[in-house]
Amino acid sequence: MTDAAFLAVSDVTVGYAGTTVLDRLSLGVDRGEFVALLGSSGCGKTTLLRTIAGFNTPRSGSLTLAGRDITRAAPDRRGMAMVFQSYALWPHMTVAQNIGYGLKLRKAPRSDIAARVDEIASMLGLSGLQARKPGQLSGGQRQRVALGRALAVEPEILLLDEPLSNLDARVRLGVRHEIRALQKRLGITAIHVTHDREEAMVMADRIVILDRGRIAQEGSPEEVYNRPASPFVAAFMGAENVVSLEGSVDGDRIAIAAGPHNRPATIARETRALATGRFQARFRTEAAELLPAPPRPAFGDQADKASDDGALRLRGTVCQTSYPGGVWRHVVAIGAAEVSVDADQPVEPGTDVVLRVPSSALFLFDAPEDGAEQVSRAAA
Amino acid sequence: MRERLTGLLLALPAIATIALLYLMPLIASMTGAFETEAGFGLGNFVKSTELYTTDILYTLMIVSLSTLIIAGLSIAIAGYLTLGENPKAVAILRWLYRWPLFIPFIVVGQVLRTFLAKNGLMNNLLVAGGILTPLQTVSFLDWRGIVIAFVWKQTPFVTLLVAGAMASIDRGTIEAARNLGASRLRILIEIVVPQVRTTLLVGMVLSFVTMMSVLSVPLMISAQSPTMITADIAFRINAYGDYGVANALGMISLAMTMAVAIVYLRLNLKEKAK
Repeated sequence: MTDAAFLAVSDVTVGYAGTTVLDRLSLGVDRGEFVALLGSSGCGKTTLLRTIAGFNTPRSGSLTLAGRDITRAAPDRRGMAMVFQSYALWPHMTVAQNIGYGLKLRKAPRSDIAARVDEIASMLGLSGLQARKPGQLSGGQRQRVALGRALAVEPEILLLDEPLSNLDARVRLGVRHEIRALQKRLGITAIHVTHDREEAMVMADRIVILDRGRIAQEGSPEEVYNRPASPFVAAFMGAENVVSLEGSVDGDRIAIAAGPHNRPATIARETRALATGRFQARFRTEAAELLPAPPRPAFGDQADKASDDGALRLRGTVCQTSYPGGVWRHVVAIGAAEVSVDADQPVEPGTDVVLRVPSSALFLFDAPEDGAEQVSRAAA
Repeated sequence: MRERLTGLLLALPAIATIALLYLMPLIASMTGAFETEAGFGLGNFVKSTELYTTDILYTLMIVSLSTLIIAGLSIAIAGYLTLGENPKAVAILRWLYRWPLFIPFIVVGQVLRTFLAKNGLMNNLLVAGGILTPLQTVSFLDWRGIVIAFVWKQTPFVTLLVAGAMASIDRGTIEAARNLGASRLRILIEIVVPQVRTTLLVGMVLSFVTMMSVLSVPLMISAQSPTMITADIAFRINAYGDYGVANALGMISLAMTMAVAIVYLRLNLKEKAK
């Protein structure tokens, strides 16, 4: 697949002084594509971006751009421009000088530089600010100058290193869409590093989730959200409620055995990679339905199979209720585990309830061998 | 009211110390500059300019030239420490460049006297290496020797300040320039130095003032005429007991350092106003 890709990262290993940050990582990016590298801090996403930019040299592996080997090419010989997390604007230069510097380095005539700077400034809504220094601009304006500086040299690939993380939450939401619209309009290829799931979801064509120097999963936002390939990805994509189950896999069906807190259920296997035995079930706060608990006897092993509509039913007790806005959030104890569930109406703490998790929102994985909760750290 | 009085009493020893040990001698020497045998007047200054105009200009030339060379060298060294890509070379340079900081001026003067003399170590090496014949050797023990001594001693000090400032600028500003294709020299001149220019100026001003006050180096290396103001002041006092002219010369060198300090403060204010 990487042969056809516009930018191909093949088997790249990168490390600093004894530690390996990226471990034989391969990634292909198509022309005009917007790819988000998503992961928690220390997962290697910034290292990957810096390796693509040419600030890190891989220990092994190669990088090609449109078929040309760029593994050891200097950062400016790659047709890429980077937008830094800190913006890294030159404080002693005006906005116009910052944007025009790359063209000045390319020895463009002064009139051409001025014309291009004006064009970029009006495209990014910076007209009239050309004579200001970065210190006199707001965070959002600085961010746009940094973007303009990168775009002025007409790079083939735009590299974005958490460019929105220093902005106010409200400004950030607007800038997300601005950058995405601009990228589409210019038809430029973009690689965007972020630790913000929603940001990656709304901006990217494809999301690459990194975990400890490897790609945990890549796919469209919808794919990684609805079909996480591992507990890590599921947790990272917000499915933080965890329950232990047992069951068996039979052809295209999965039979979940009755447990101390759940009814038996049979659901379609679909694309789930699963083996008979202990399962780890994950689901999102908003994915479960909160139902009143039927009287005790009705919830026995001989419960009517008719009510099994391909959903998992868990029995628990509400132990906390809060209102974060829009919906009521309930912390429900299911045995020793606690899960969060949203509902339109509040349920009093102490009430016994049944949680119904539809098959489409239920992520099942083989339980980790050591039983350790390795994935919860990804929640941040 | 009482509290204010207590506060004042507490501060009194400090104020008294400053007044007695710092302000009084300064004022005494300032008034001393205007005292002549014929009473108060500008006689000492007239005499100073008659006798020492060459030395005053000579001092200004040596110290200004040294300051510029120091600035250039410290930018080069600190720049290499910041942008150098060979970690071993950077480590060696970082370890090496500070040594002159710990060597007193008088020792610097003495070391360079034996090194730069006509039959000194430098010329001996050049002759032994076949680069010069003994007849071609010249002594550097004149204004050049003084400049070399000042640069040798003061460059590490300014480099220390400048390298610290360079280390604290956002690395991203350097990488962004590299990303767009700037060479390391361009990055140093166009990106790094402008961001540390205030620190560089402070270092230059402090060096200028320090060099204006050094007596040992001109005495060790070149005390014949022309020489630096400090040597002249020592000579007026030791040889003639002429405190009037010595004070006047002191006032003149004070005026020179003040001028530099004012230029610096002006630039600083302009910077802040922006």
